[in-house]
Amino acid sequence: MTFIRRYLIPRLIQYVLVTFLGITAVFFIPRFLPNDPIVRTITAIQSRGATLDPATIDETVTNLKRMYGLEGSWLEQYGNFWLRLFRADFGVSFFQFPTPVSKLIGIALPWTAGLLLTTTFLNWTLGNIIGGLAGYYSRNRWSRALDAVAMVIRPLPYYIFAFALLLLLAYWVRWFPVSGGTAIGRKVAFNWPFIKDVLWHSFLPALSLTILGGAVNFQTMKLIVQNVNAENYVQYAKLGGINESRIVSKYVIRNAILPQITNLALALGQIFSGALITEIVFSYPGLGTLLYNAIVTGDYNLIMGITTISIVAITTAILVVDLLYPFWDPRIRYM
Amino acid sequence: MEVTRIVEVEGTPVVETVIETQEVVVTATPVPVEKEEAPDVLGVLPRNETVIADILTGRVGTPGNFNDWVGWKWRDRGMQNLAWEPLWLVDFATGKIINGLADGDPIYSDDFTTLTIPLRQGVAWHDGEPFTAADVVYTIETLVKYDGFNAHSYFADNVKSVSAPDDYTVEIELTQSNSRFHTRFLDRWGVTHIMPKHIFEKEADPVAFEFNPVVGTGPYKLHSYDESGFWTIWEKREDWDKSPTGIMYGEPKPKYVVLQYFANEGAKILAQLTHQADYLNLSSDGLKAVLAQCESCRAYQPTFPWVVNNDPCITGIVFNSTIPPYDNKDVRWALLLAINIPEYMGIAVDGTGVLSPVHIPSLGTYPENFIKPMVSWLTDFELDLGNGEKFKPYDPTAPAQEAEYAVGRGYIFPNDPAYIEKAFGIGWYKYAPDEAAKLLEKNGFSKNADGQWLLPDGEPWQIRCVSNTDTTTHGYRNCIAATQQWKKFGIDAEPYPTEAAADLNNTGDFEVSGNWPAQEPWGAGPDLYRTLDLWNSEYVKPNGEVTGGQVGRWSSPEMDAVIKKLRETDPTDSEAVIEVGIEGLKIAVTEMPGIPTYGYVGFMSWDETYWSNWPGSENAYTQPYAHWGNFKYMMPFLEPTGK
Repeated sequence: MTFIRRYLIPRLIQYVLVTFLGITAVFFIPRFLPNDPIVRTITAIQSRGATLDPATIDETVTNLKRMYGLEGSWLEQYGNFWLRLFRADFGVSFFQFPTPVSKLIGIALPWTAGLLLTTTFLNWTLGNIIGGLAGYYSRNRWSRALDAVAMVIRPLPYYIFAFALLLLLAYWVRWFPVSGGTAIGRKVAFNWPFIKDVLWHSFLPALSLTILGGAVNFQTMKLIVQNVNAENYVQYAKLGGINESRIVSKYVIRNAILPQITNLALALGQIFSGALITEIVFSYPGLGTLLYNAIVTGDYNLIMGITTISIVAITTAILVVDLLYPFWDPRIRYM
Repeated sequence: MEVTRIVEVEGTPVVETVIETQEVVVTATPVPVEKEEAPDVLGVLPRNETVIADILTGRVGTPGNFNDWVGWKWRDRGMQNLAWEPLWLVDFATGKIINGLADGDPIYSDDFTTLTIPLRQGVAWHDGEPFTAADVVYTIETLVKYDGFNAHSYFADNVKSVSAPDDYTVEIELTQSNSRFHTRFLDRWGVTHIMPKHIFEKEADPVAFEFNPVVGTGPYKLHSYDESGFWTIWEKREDWDKSPTGIMYGEPKPKYVVLQYFANEGAKILAQLTHQADYLNLSSDGLKAVLAQCESCRAYQPTFPWVVNNDPCITGIVFNSTIPPYDNKDVRWALLLAINIPEYMGIAVDGTGVLSPVHIPSLGTYPENFIKPMVSWLTDFELDLGNGEKFKPYDPTAPAQEAEYAVGRGYIFPNDPAYIEKAFGIGWYKYAPDEAAKLLEKNGFSKNADGQWLLPDGEPWQIRCVSNTDTTTHGYRNCIAATQQWKKFGIDAEPYPTEAAADLNNTGDFEVSGNWPAQEPWGAGPDLYRTLDLWNSEYVKPNGEVTGGQVGRWSSPEMDAVIKKLRETDPTDSEAVIEVGIEGLKIAVTEMPGIPTYGYVGFMSWDETYWSNWPGSENAYTQPYAHWGNFKYMMPFLEPTGK
């Protein structure tokens, strides 16, 4: 009961408050952007076409405001926003009117989640295992070689690295396609040709994220393990003749992995805002370009939809990690 | 060389094939590289029966919604360019207006309060239903009825009644005299398309209706689309001979056409180098990269300047003429005279643009109709520098200077006056910084000890040239070039690229902008109503409010009078509209509300691996872009290479 009263309830209140403030900020910040969704729609129609008459622009603005639900004060719109949010309704996209925001997110999210979930777990797992071993055996030649490779890869700008992969494996060798999530004309279906096609198209973006992300995790883990390895309790354990595999798994890795778990939780939360550069380099469908386009077109509802999900995901991930920490770290006890 | 052309015989376009001999200088250096075959990215389509083009306006945001009458629907994903036919369509390559669903010109009453539209017979919708006057009547009545449609206000304000005396005639009674009402149905990258009555009338809410699958009268029907908006596939309809395209030009050759989105230029170029894209819009550098590495690729022109240079848009600089000091025409002219145009063109587009001294491009039929007849006036045109001093700014040698710049860059092209005129224009203005200084000093400007210009109130003069952030757009290119010239002249000038440029322009929240200095004309025919009318004082709004007119918010009683005169002129009376148009252009030059620099140049490449006979400059049977409505008219003329 002490845990519930002294830790869980205050922590849950903090969680709700942070989420509430984050979502509130997400409602107001886009309204300070210089991009007006109505002006942007009119510009899009007008800039090349001939279907808006200068003399009737005022009426068009009024009609668009009504259709977009932008009538009334900000406070009224804010109230309506929360009412809708409790029904999991983010409204319709302005620039992609009249498509509901939830539909746009529903189309983009599986691509982003599929790619980023896989690569995040993959680069986290590989980076930490190899980094942990390299840190423990840091004086070995292979460890120093891996470190040198990571030192070269990690500072590479992601865009350049990804494009180099594209040139090498899509243009010169021609093993993979240069763009897209599936072959042109392939319809979404749960069958092997479609799955194979998706895997083929996502291989290069996944490879780029795994290698660069893995290098980051490798270096971080290696350094942490090297530090832990130098701790007195590890040295005592070694002097005490405890089995080396037990020292690695129970004494070193268990302590070194703690900050990496927090990083993993944050990385998973950030999946919901997409991977913009990956999506641009590989013309890959996903939430990153959806959010970017929403910002540049002043599409308030779409910005709010994506960032609300992202905020909830990140605050929830941190809450879960906080609550589960005692299982990993014996020093932490919620009394 | 065998060339296919469209010629007009008694008003009807027909196709003829002629043999032409032409010397072509190819300066690009292809690097022959043996490569493995490209991976098959077409999941279900045969590559040799498919044309793949990129989509200009980006990833489709509403993939499942084809209701173009509401909001913005990425109409160049194949809707306007393959699936639909308009009543009339401009073709800026030939300068002609083509009858699509219409069977002839609109017939106005003498006072322009009624018009009759004859319709083409033998046309069917994609689902086999015949296209008739009932569809046109229904479209207009529906647009008037629902205020959610983009065109609602215009039709509600202008249409008193619409009727169909027979299946192929439409009569429209207008609420007021309007000699250009029919232009709402004249496609020049966007138009009011006709709704299929038999489909829309079943919908309770036609504004919310997604219109999926889209049904049109064009030669291609919807095959499939990507839910994420990356591609749309169109398939040739079996009864293609019931589309105006098929009736006029015969059977389209490709069975499928794909409009595809690439998120970056690198991916586009790689796709073309691996023969996975037939048509691309590129940047200047992107085009050079493709030409240098792709043996089977070509640009619109076979030699320098390679670019598409027959587009109807004029690019340049716009001033917000409601804000000092840009409300003063002397200041606007001074900024023009501070530009060294060959240098400017080198910075902006590597010297590939056609100069224009007036507010329409020196392209297509415009030089013959407008610019050449204005040369003597331009030559005599004088600026008042103050103290009784006059200056004649026109410079007929400017294009030759631009050509000299190109030669200096190592580009090779025919040294022929006709070629120079077509590639670089007829004339522009002198680089005259001393005269520019006199114009400014006349208005109280001065220079400080560092040689920097000060405003009349003694404050340093700063110019921030607003443009969007895409470095390939001409707004951006003009800002970069102009600010460098003005900086050299002694003004603290900088480009200001921002994602919000469109909003800032529309609400007047800018002083100087890289933009269209005037609305582009129709693109076919000599009528400049579209260009001049946007300067109408009726549309000028206070800064902060969205304007429907020119973003520079300039107007004058003299221009209002010209616009009024044009409204009362029969748009089909070429001689009369040219005369009034020249009158309007003279006012624009005198007042210089924005600086016209060069006509829009498109950096576009075709791969000839699977398809040939693209409409290049030596064979311009139609406009060359995939995103214009006329793309469908290109389809019958493409030739499969047999690969």
